Amino acid sequence: MEESLITPEAEAMIGKEVGRQTAVVYPKEAQRFAAAVGDLNPLYFDDDAAKAQGYKGVIAPPMFLPQVLQGVTQLEALREDGVPIEGGSDVPVKAERLMAGGEEYEFLDTLYPGDAITAETRIQNVEEKQGRSGRFVLITRETLYTNQDGTLVARGRFSLIAR
Amino acid sequence: MSSNQLYFDDVAEGDTIPEATAAPSELQIFFFSAATNNGHRIHYDLPYAQTEGLPNILVQGPLQAALLAKLLTDWIGPGGRLTRIQIQNRGNAFPNAKLTYGGAVVGKREEGGQLLVDCEIFEGDESGAVLMPGTATVSLPRRPGA
Repeated sequence: MEESLITPEAEAMIGKEVGRQTAVVYPKEAQRFAAAVGDLNPLYFDDDAAKAQGYKGVIAPPMFLPQVLQGVTQLEALREDGVPIEGGSDVPVKAERLMAGGEEYEFLDTLYPGDAITAETRIQNVEEKQGRSGRFVLITRETLYTNQDGTLVARGRFSLIAR
Repeated sequence: MSSNQLYFDDVAEGDTIPEATAAPSELQIFFFSAATNNGHRIHYDLPYAQTEGLPNILVQGPLQAALLAKLLTDWIGPGGRLTRIQIQNRGNAFPNAKLTYGGAVVGKREEGGQLLVDCEIFEGDESGAVLMPGTATVSLPRRPGA
């Protein structure tokens, strides 16, 4: 029997909250995101077009959601590859590489520029899998995004592959 | 309502989503990094990317995902809503390479007062390889008078 890739410390992380932060959605940030995608949807840029659909004003693009929590990056906090040092996995695993697995968002309510979004992240699961090129650990995080009124705006699930 | 609105009544299982294409340039990739506060060198620093064994800089995964979401929001029109999207990062996309976005309707249902359409979606490259497969659900209005 091969030794499990999942340490007792990693196992103990399942269900634990690993992050909670609140950030305001800045209108220009949401529009810069849309413009950089090449997505000039009037719902993101034209108040009247958004109001015509029953929104209270322009809305943020759905895929902008995870960007809401981008902090202020300090240059001395960057690794050689340009990624902040704390970026990576907070689950202790024996792995050489971490790769993005996949992600899923459920958009339950509208995200508006100006909203103050609180995101709570939990480790949903840590499991060992058998892939074509060997064993790996799949780490799944779930983030709940709630606005200033306490409305759950979205749920995000992110998986990381550690091999 | 505008003529580019898609209605629940007009969608059937097996329908294909009209394909879209994109070919993010180095400039667009740079702007997306700037818009997302992303300093990762593999998205702008070619000599650095080569030290990681990459043949070129990479299109960001979140940009690929946002282009897939755009396929859906353009298709459904302003009165529809993207309610769920799930994607997997399967292959690298490189600057100026033509990427194709498409999908198909796999189901329709009414749930919690919403008219929902379930889809399979993909981003592919010119060789036909799927770089980013996924699934999504959109909510659509009923056709007025239907």
